[in-house]
This record gives sequence, C-alpha cells and structure tokens, in this order.
Amino acid sequence: MSVATPPIDATLPRRTAPARSRPWYLDVWVQMVRRKPLGTAGGVIVLVMLAAAVGAEWISPYGFAQTSLRERFIAMNGSHWLGTDQLGRDLLTRLIYGARISLYVGFGAVLLGSLLATAIGILSAYFGGRVDMLVQRGVDAWMAFPPLLLLMSIMSLVGPSVWNITVVLGVAFGIQNSRVVRGVALGIKENTYIESARAMGSSHTAIAVRHILPNTLPTIIVVATTGLSTVILTEASLSFLGLGVPPPYPTWGGMLSLAGLDHMYQAPWLAIWPAVALSLAVFGFNMLGDGLRDLLDPRLKGG
Amino acid sequence: MRQYILRRLALAVPTLFLVSVIVFGLMRLMPGDVATRMVEGHGYAKTLDALRRDLGLDRPVHVQYVEWIGNIVLHGDFGRSYWTRQPILEEFVRRFPVTLELALLTILVSVVIGVVVGILSAVRQDSVSDYVGRILAILALSIPYFGLAVVVVVVPSIYFKWTPVWTYVAFTADPLQNLKIMLVPALVFGVTRAGPIMRIMRSALLDVLRQEYIRTAWSKGLSERTIVLRHALKNAMIPVISLIGLQMPLYIGGSVIIESIFRLPGVGLFFFEALGKLDYPVVQSVNLIIAAMVVGLNLAIDLSYAFLDPRIRYR
Repeated sequence: MSVATPPIDATLPRRTAPARSRPWYLDVWVQMVRRKPLGTAGGVIVLVMLAAAVGAEWISPYGFAQTSLRERFIAMNGSHWLGTDQLGRDLLTRLIYGARISLYVGFGAVLLGSLLATAIGILSAYFGGRVDMLVQRGVDAWMAFPPLLLLMSIMSLVGPSVWNITVVLGVAFGIQNSRVVRGVALGIKENTYIESARAMGSSHTAIAVRHILPNTLPTIIVVATTGLSTVILTEASLSFLGLGVPPPYPTWGGMLSLAGLDHMYQAPWLAIWPAVALSLAVFGFNMLGDGLRDLLDPRLKGG
Repeated sequence: MRQYILRRLALAVPTLFLVSVIVFGLMRLMPGDVATRMVEGHGYAKTLDALRRDLGLDRPVHVQYVEWIGNIVLHGDFGRSYWTRQPILEEFVRRFPVTLELALLTILVSVVIGVVVGILSAVRQDSVSDYVGRILAILALSIPYFGLAVVVVVVPSIYFKWTPVWTYVAFTADPLQNLKIMLVPALVFGVTRAGPIMRIMRSALLDVLRQEYIRTAWSKGLSERTIVLRHALKNAMIPVISLIGLQMPLYIGGSVIIESIFRLPGVGLFFFEALGKLDYPVVQSVNLIIAAMVVGLNLAIDLSYAFLDPRIRYR
C-alpha cells in the first residue's frame, strides 16, 4: 500500500513569521499599551512626574523657597491652585519640585543599587562555593534587620543630605536585590552555551559580561522598576522623620513631617496634597513595574 | 523534626554574629560623635577626653565590641544608655508590650481585611466584586501609612471636631481605654498593609480551588461555604502566613513612625529618640534584639508549616 504524496501546491501562501523587526526593549512598550491598561496608566503617571521634575523651573508658578508672609495659609484659589503654607510658599510649586527630589533620589538609588545587585549577584552565582557562601551569609545578616531601622541608624550618623540618602538607599537596594539576580544567574550558569564558552577558552570576565549579564537584564529591569516605588516611599519615610533630604528642599515626605503638624491643623491641605502626590507616584511606579514584570519575566509573577 | 530545629538554630548563630558586627561597625565607623554632642550644649563632662574615658570610647574598637557582645552573651547585659545611664534591656522590656500590641492589632486588621476581600475576590473571579477588591488592594498598596496617619490625625479634628486620643494608657491599667487609643493607629497601619495580603490570598485560593480534592468536595454535594472555608482556606493560608512572616520587619520598622505620630511609648519611639541623641549602646542593642526576634520568628514560621500542611515533613 502506497501513500500518495499530494503534489506541492506552489500557490499556497508561504507561512512567514509576522514581521517582528522591533527589538524586545521597544516591543515591551507596544505590548504594554495593547495588553496592560493599568501598566499604561502607571506609565503615564510616571511620565507626568518626569516632565514635572525636568521642567520644574518652567512649569511651577513660583520659586520653591519663595515666601510671602502676607499670603500665609491661603486655601485653594486662582493664584495658588493648591494653597500656601505657613510661610506663604506655593504648595503646587513645592509639590512639583518635590517630584524632582523624589525622582533624583529614586532613580539615583535604583541605578546604583541595580549595578551593585548585578555585580554581587552575578559574582556570587558565577563563582559559587565559598565565595557564594560568604556573600550570602552577609546578605542574610543584612536582611535580618528591619530595613527602616537600619536605614534610620545609618542616616542619623551620616547626616541628612540628598547625596547621602541616595547612596545609602542605593547600597541597601543593591544588597537586598542581589539575591534575585543571583537566583537567575544560577539558572543561566547551568546552560550548555556557558560550558561551550568556557571550553572555547573565554575568560571569567568575558563569560560573566558577555553571556550571563545580557540574560539577567530583563530580571534586573523588572527588579529596578518594581523597586522604584519602594525606594521613593522609603526616602519619603526618612524625610518624614527628618533623616532624609534636609530643608529647604521641598520633599513630599518632609512636607508631611511632624514638624509641620501644628500648621496642618490650620491648613489641612498641607497634609492632604503631599499624601496624594506620594500615593499617585507610588501607584504609578507599582503599576508600571507590575506590567513590565508580567511582560518581561513571567517567572517573577507575584500575587 | 528535632534535628531540623537544631540545624536551623545553628545556622542562626553566624547570622546573628554578622548582624552584631554590622550594627556595631556602622555605629563606630560612620561620622557623627556622641561624645562631642554630650559635651557641647549638654555639659555631661568637663572635657571630651574625660567623657570618652568615662564611656570607654577611648579604647580600640575591637575591645569595645568584645565587651559589648561578651556582656550580652555571658550575662544577658545589653548595656546602659550613655545619656540616662539606665539599663537598656529593662527599658526595652518595659516598652515592648506597646509595640507588640500595635503589631498584633495591625496584623489582625490587615489579615481580616485582606483575607475577607481576598476570598470574595477569588470565589467570584472576574466579577465586579473581584475588580473592586483588586483595585482596593492596589490603592492600599499605594497609600503611604504615614501620609494616611497624618491625614487621619489632622482632618477629622478640623471637619468633625474629633481628635484621636493622645495620652497612652497601659492595657493592664484600663483595657478599654487602651484599645480605644490603639484602634486608630492599628487601623491606619493595618489598612495600608492589607493590600499584599489580599493579593496573595486571592491567588493562593484560586490555585487551591482548581485542585482535585476540591472537585471531589463539590461532587460530594458539599455547600460552597463548606468547601471554601473548611477545605480550601486552610491550604490557601500557608502563603499568607509566610507573607506575614516576611513582612514582620516592615511592621516593626513602620511602628517607629506610627509610634512617633500617635505618641505611643513603644520600642520604636525609644529607638527614634536614642537615634536623635546618637546613643550608641541603645541603637546597637535595640537593632540586635529586634534582628534576633526577626530571625527567631522566621524559624517559628517555617516550623508552623509542618502543622498547617501535613504534606511538609522534616527529617
């Protein structure tokens, strides 16, 4: 019994993969807009915040330290949209400049922290053995502290400043997240192509930088974006306690702080608007981070 | 089981050793000098050198470390405050019930809200109540608790002429009054912590509800209430409990802020005031005690899995 092979139909349209010339880091944003409405909303909030931070001088109606004793405790009106504080400073202006500080510290700390997390994580995973053991016990010990207590201790010693808080938050972020990078790098290390690279005589540095690093990149991006909201919130908590960014710089946490509590009884908007701004920012970064995580690294998917 | 506990305890020792080195090293290597502050403006001693000698700060760092840790390990002596000369452990023990009560009430609030909303969300997946629940969880995640706390302190007193009670009363002195005082802080803190619990609860319950034994329960003709509450919930609670354990440091860290806003005389306020005065021994010892508690709690939670989930067995 023979099976007749059907003649090849040359007229059939050739099956081609859909044209996906876009690299993954651009494709992610297209997917985000198409499939993740909440993530897109978060992205828009983040963009607005970025615009406010970059263009604070042009957008804001007043200077952030411009006082006007005749205009103290004004509720919302035409010239002061969100009112003024105890020194007659415009609240909207201070919120806009506050976005700048939040983002400075947030992005600075996350950038530094991601570099550190990547370095520690890949080193610890790649060399394994005793190095890994030592590094991981150190990370264990660091994670045993309630983060806020440790950060408060450090900040009260080095003193409040934008630079100090960025570095301190960055180092803390790096140590904490090195474990996630390590986990991913451990998996990548077992791949055959790493073995073949080694067989071809690649150096440790070449393998770590050229083969392991690019493959951990999506994870690092996810860790960084989801971490931004935490870092911004932590900066706000420390500034709230007077241990973060010192005055006269306006920060959202500092504007809420207990030092101004007596004024807030006179002017509740002084408490409400910074809290709203902070919540919106955290919401935006959370949603953007969640969306990116779902698109880039389904393995990390949380609850 | 016993061997597992012993092994875990043995592993905790090097961790705690490193914890003590980190916290001590930070205190001594960073800029900021307690002696200068105590002499200038407070007149604790005639000269800096005299005070340093008095406090033992003139000796090499490793000698100071060995003395500090030696007294803790050998005598259970956590040292005295530089400023008040009061024993630290005594003060800690006196204040700890406040912080513990705040933490327990907060966990209670967040678990009740998180679990109830999580169940409602999971049982009616993709319904209106599910979406409402999920949006609430996201909102709760986004609102910073200290922002909410300040708003809750300020706004009702202006618009409703109602102020949360400020002066603290111990539970043992007047339980009802005490709960009245703790209610607002615990609600504020608990609500903002309910978000993650709700999300974990929802996804864990969804997971469990798809399993075979739940289908068996349905085919036996059990009611939905019995299936969800008696059969599914117990297994779905495991991730929730481990989340609470993981978040314990956040509850403790947050209590510093909550206690300072609501003026609760707990460990958090003790720590915060000591920080302001650079009171090294207090900061070191409180950090160490709390880190030890976190390590111990994580161990306890790991062990509790064995009771919650009979499939987990330790050799």
